[in-house]
Amino acid sequence: MTTATTDPSTSARRSVIGRRVLPYAMLSPAVLVTLAIVFFPMVQTAWMSLHEYVLFRPKDFNWVGLGNFKAALADEVFWISLRHTAIWMLTTIPAQLFLGLVTALLLNQDFWWRPIARALIIIPWALPSVVIALMWSWIYDSNYGVANEFLLRLGVIQQAVPWLANPDTALASIILTLTWQGFPFFAVMILAGLQSIPASYYEAASIDGASAWRQFWHITLPGIAGVMMTAVLLRMIWVANSFDVIFVMTGGGPGYATHTLPLYAFIKARTNLDFGYGSSIAVLFTIMLMVVVVFYLRRTRKAMD
Amino acid sequence: MKTSKFLGIASALALLSSAAYADSTVRFWYHFDNADNPMDEIVAKFEAENPGIKVEAENIPWNSYYDQLYTSIVGGNAPDAAMVKLFAQPRLIELGALQPIDDYLANWDGAANIEDGLIDLVKGGDGAQYYLPVQYVALYLYYRADMLAELDLDVPTTCEEFRDVAKALTRDTDGDGQTDVYGFGFRGAKGGHDHWGTFVLGAEGVSLTDGLTSEAGIAGTQFVADLFQKDKVFPLSAPNDGFQEIIGAFKAGRTAMTIHHIGSANGMVEALGDKVSAAPVPVCGGGSWTAFGDESTAVFANAEDPDAAFKWISFLSSEGNNTKFNEATGQLPVVKADAANWTLHPARFVEATQNSVAAAQLLPSSSATSDFVNTVWPTNMQRVLIGEISAEEMNANIDALFSE
Repeated sequence: MTTATTDPSTSARRSVIGRRVLPYAMLSPAVLVTLAIVFFPMVQTAWMSLHEYVLFRPKDFNWVGLGNFKAALADEVFWISLRHTAIWMLTTIPAQLFLGLVTALLLNQDFWWRPIARALIIIPWALPSVVIALMWSWIYDSNYGVANEFLLRLGVIQQAVPWLANPDTALASIILTLTWQGFPFFAVMILAGLQSIPASYYEAASIDGASAWRQFWHITLPGIAGVMMTAVLLRMIWVANSFDVIFVMTGGGPGYATHTLPLYAFIKARTNLDFGYGSSIAVLFTIMLMVVVVFYLRRTRKAMD
Repeated sequence: MKTSKFLGIASALALLSSAAYADSTVRFWYHFDNADNPMDEIVAKFEAENPGIKVEAENIPWNSYYDQLYTSIVGGNAPDAAMVKLFAQPRLIELGALQPIDDYLANWDGAANIEDGLIDLVKGGDGAQYYLPVQYVALYLYYRADMLAELDLDVPTTCEEFRDVAKALTRDTDGDGQTDVYGFGFRGAKGGHDHWGTFVLGAEGVSLTDGLTSEAGIAGTQFVADLFQKDKVFPLSAPNDGFQEIIGAFKAGRTAMTIHHIGSANGMVEALGDKVSAAPVPVCGGGSWTAFGDESTAVFANAEDPDAAFKWISFLSSEGNNTKFNEATGQLPVVKADAANWTLHPARFVEATQNSVAAAQLLPSSSATSDFVNTVWPTNMQRVLIGEISAEEMNANIDALFSE
């Protein structure tokens, strides 16, 4: 007579397999969704970049190999946009980091309205980009803008300046807007880092006679280095890719004065409907950004070690 | 409990009956600037007159109207019918997105009531009829009659007079050293090709497809650049100014002249009363050019029920309904009887439009026209205005686009 009892070794094996499979089974819905909405479009973009594909001629999907990439590298606007992207990243992120750091240090002090200040500081970060872009467009307006009115009254300028219509000031004006929008992110992240530094470190340093500056340099900065590194990495990717504020404020103009690479890729694909060429610019930019990110991670890891 | 059950069953039945009642649905896309528009009212009237057809009208923001339309066509989710402009027709034909309506028109009594020549004007490049006109305008010059009177100036009728008048109107009115009024509100951003066209395309032998790189063509673009750089008669923000900016500046008294159509007349009168008037654009280079602002409706090739879709678009271009439609857009009706009884705009603006129609031109029926309007013209014009490229280079770039 056979019994229903199972071999203990079999049941152990089953439970091991179950334990191994379960995590994958639990993860698979998320992985499948990510594959569908992130990786599939990425692969599709890479595939389109190797073709001549103009949306209003959907039947012509001709293989051109690296033709679009060659054309992009020979395109004057590509290089103008790349230069602006570099300026955009190299000024916006340090400015946001610096402002965020100062704000976080201030918000870490004791004062009675600190909770209100902490809540207020998040407002620029919480506002939608389009609202921010429209708001700042009016601030910069050369006819009615408060920026000109303010500077004229102070006597800093003698004539109203068309901040967004002048190629010398347009990009800088948008960078200022984005700095304002993004610094609360750094402030909040760094503030969290500051609060994780034990107060006893500062007490010990004071007893040893360390000045406020020495305390900042030897305790505060190393204490928030990890947070800052992550925050800079995230912002680097977000700022590089963000073009909504530029698109609303100037549409990339005047001329190409505020064109960045993501904006140029968008205009080529969405407005000119040239998806092949637009995709090739997006692919080139992704590769460049990856190189920057890998370089940054290596350097900062070394510094952290 | 009983009441809620009863209500539940009743609403389910009501839903079922309405779904069964609508034999076909027409998905219609349109773009009205004013969100508070009478489209629901028009749809309700149509549905009452045509039981069995349901219209789902969707107001799409103008800025991304064509981006969304093209994407929806390629994505296989195009509407059944939509408002469309002529510049988009070549691309839509190339996409195979439009349904020919020649047969429908032949059997439709209302066709004879449309203003003469309009239906032919919007015929497709391949000879078939896809578009049914629904409204039209011709661009003209808005001017501040009070400012001209104050300075004892006449309305400019030529480019030379225009330059002199614009210079005289550009003034520091309060003596603080700042220019308070600019002579002309120029649209340097997307859509401003209509302004540029007046100064360039009127010249003899110059059009977008021919003669643009000639001496006369280049002189026209240079004239625009000089108005901004040398004469300083445009606001400093002109390179980036779009529709909102030029209309806003004119209403606020920051500019004394600008070019637009009757669609903005009522807003102007509301802000400025009798101080604003209109006249045909000046003659430049020996000829006159202004833009014909067209708007039609079309049935799309993928329409589930093309008969119902045509019924709906023809309803919009029929007597009475066309007036209602144009009350929302502020443009002029295409139906003869509606035009004869038109009272929405003050007569001086209707007259300026009628006097401008003779010089009104359409953009070339070419696939390149969309790129010209959306990117090539604005980018090149802005680069000329900020001194990055010359007038000659700009005209050569546009010429190259249309020669491709």
